[in-house]
Amino acid sequence: MDWIIRGGRIVDGSGLPAFEGDVALKDGKVARLGGRIEAEGAQVFDASGCIVAPGFIDPHTHFDVQLLWDGQARPALEHGVTTIVPGNCSLSLAPLKAGDRQRVVGMFQQIEEMPDAAFDGAFEWRWESFDGYLAALKESLSINVAPLVGHSVIRLWVMGAAATERAATAEELSAMQDLLAQCLEAGAVGLSTSFVDVDENLMPVPSRYAHFEELDALAAVLGRYGRMLQVVPEFYATDITLARVDQLAELSLRYGIPTTFSPLFDSAATPDNVPRVMARVAEQMARGAQVWPQVQTRPIDISFTFEVASLLFAGLPKWYRTMRMGAEEKIAALSDSEWVAQLLAEAEPGGNGARWAAVQVRGGVSDASLVGQTLGALAEARGSSPAQVMIDLSLEHNLQASFIAASLGHNDSDRVGALLADGNVHVGASDAGAHIQSFATYGDTGYLLGHFVRDRGALSLEAAIKKITADTARIWGLPGRGQLAPGFAGDVAIFDAAEIDRCAEEACFDMPEEGMRYVRASKGMVGVFVNGALSWSKASGYADAPVGQIATQLPGAASA
Amino acid sequence: MAELSESRAFTAPEPGEDWAALAARVLPGTPEGEAVEKLQSWNLHLFARHPRGQFLGSDVVFTAPPAA
Repeated sequence: MDWIIRGGRIVDGSGLPAFEGDVALKDGKVARLGGRIEAEGAQVFDASGCIVAPGFIDPHTHFDVQLLWDGQARPALEHGVTTIVPGNCSLSLAPLKAGDRQRVVGMFQQIEEMPDAAFDGAFEWRWESFDGYLAALKESLSINVAPLVGHSVIRLWVMGAAATERAATAEELSAMQDLLAQCLEAGAVGLSTSFVDVDENLMPVPSRYAHFEELDALAAVLGRYGRMLQVVPEFYATDITLARVDQLAELSLRYGIPTTFSPLFDSAATPDNVPRVMARVAEQMARGAQVWPQVQTRPIDISFTFEVASLLFAGLPKWYRTMRMGAEEKIAALSDSEWVAQLLAEAEPGGNGARWAAVQVRGGVSDASLVGQTLGALAEARGSSPAQVMIDLSLEHNLQASFIAASLGHNDSDRVGALLADGNVHVGASDAGAHIQSFATYGDTGYLLGHFVRDRGALSLEAAIKKITADTARIWGLPGRGQLAPGFAGDVAIFDAAEIDRCAEEACFDMPEEGMRYVRASKGMVGVFVNGALSWSKASGYADAPVGQIATQLPGAASA
Repeated sequence: MAELSESRAFTAPEPGEDWAALAARVLPGTPEGEAVEKLQSWNLHLFARHPRGQFLGSDVVFTAPPAA
């Protein structure tokens, strides 16, 4: 044996009750579990008082680029996440011709709010094919990866500029099918597409120009491999989401493929959205279709400054246009009383600033006493309006003042807890690695296990762990992962059930060229094993062990 | 296979279709102007989108009004 994880309470991912015992790891896999295990020469990890669970699987991430300079996908790993799915929402970094790179970088920057520095000089971009990208990842991979291939990049590869102009010809369709098959052969876990996203010029991404016949043809290829179709539906419109559920069900039944859509949010503004969508999902599941709604655990909080165009302003055209200006032009516009009057009219229709009143000052201001105060309170004190105060503070601090709009939705714990416990809900949609300057996308599993399991009892520990391990592995077809059982991968998360949670959101300057992102550290996690190697521990931090694998292949496969 | 409950009817645009062509396909027998007007009123998410009047291949086009 290589490791004995000693004396923990094992929650094996199957959903069965926890039991006491040791877990033995050998050659990257679980060798034995249960009872007292003795093995000469094995290292021992003391798990007494802790839960020992399979490593968590995050099915919706955008770590595509970060993995190229950070093979541990920090801080996901320290939260117990041992397998991630990048390439969501129609975007991946392969297959991609060198001449199209800037185009796709622009999409990543617009949709996922990735800064320039993430793509500029932090890694050597030397692949075009999907297997070339996987080869680049494997050089320093410390976490398991099950990558989706993006529909938009497949379209771009085959159709070039016409990818955002027209329907594909029969020849182009055939070429896309061949290219998708190559990606699946190389290790792609499926195809992602989007019905809502726009590029850096605010024009629809290539996948949105595809007719249903094109998606059908690509789903046929997925069917040959039994692979996943992931989509971003019009989640803000219930009727359209219902139509997308029906389309996905049609493809799932026709080709025998799993499908998933993300996100599905609960909102007080549209309280019938989730019940209606879940009712349709249940009907389609009862017919044998696999249509998995992904639901995130955390409430929606958005932090922002006036430096970059936050998605918070996407529904306010005048504001969004202003936020996309260069700094000098933006300051000039925000100093122009006529321009500001138009902004206020848009943000506070009829002089009603209620929408902004609860927004809080987060930082970046010279007067520390302002931090934590609401724009509503400051507006009252200044005899102004909330949006005007937001503009004034931004101008007074050279656009550096930061704000947080907290609990914008998905924040009713009773409703969200019941939703997470639903047997047809796939826990996911973290968006980890994306929107890095708007909110921290890490620690959703800690929030599930702390807030919804321990504090509110919305679901049992065994049920919650099953959802983020064995269920996810089954839905996505990841062989040999998601369970603690002999022969399964040695992916293990060890944590204190009384402490497990996520820490407060913090600004961190660890992106290339000291770029900023919001992160959350883990709380209550004590050790994380990836493929039998101790990859993070509370005592020692991250271990620099390139033990990650392409999770679509069997654990320990030679090609991994 | 279990029956589905009734839901709002929709279609997807075919390559090259505009509002008039799609209206002729899904509302045959209805005068063109009236059919287009109906479709647009049921699909404000498309009609109000820039550039106005153009479908994207992946669009969902409702062929019935929303439930009351």
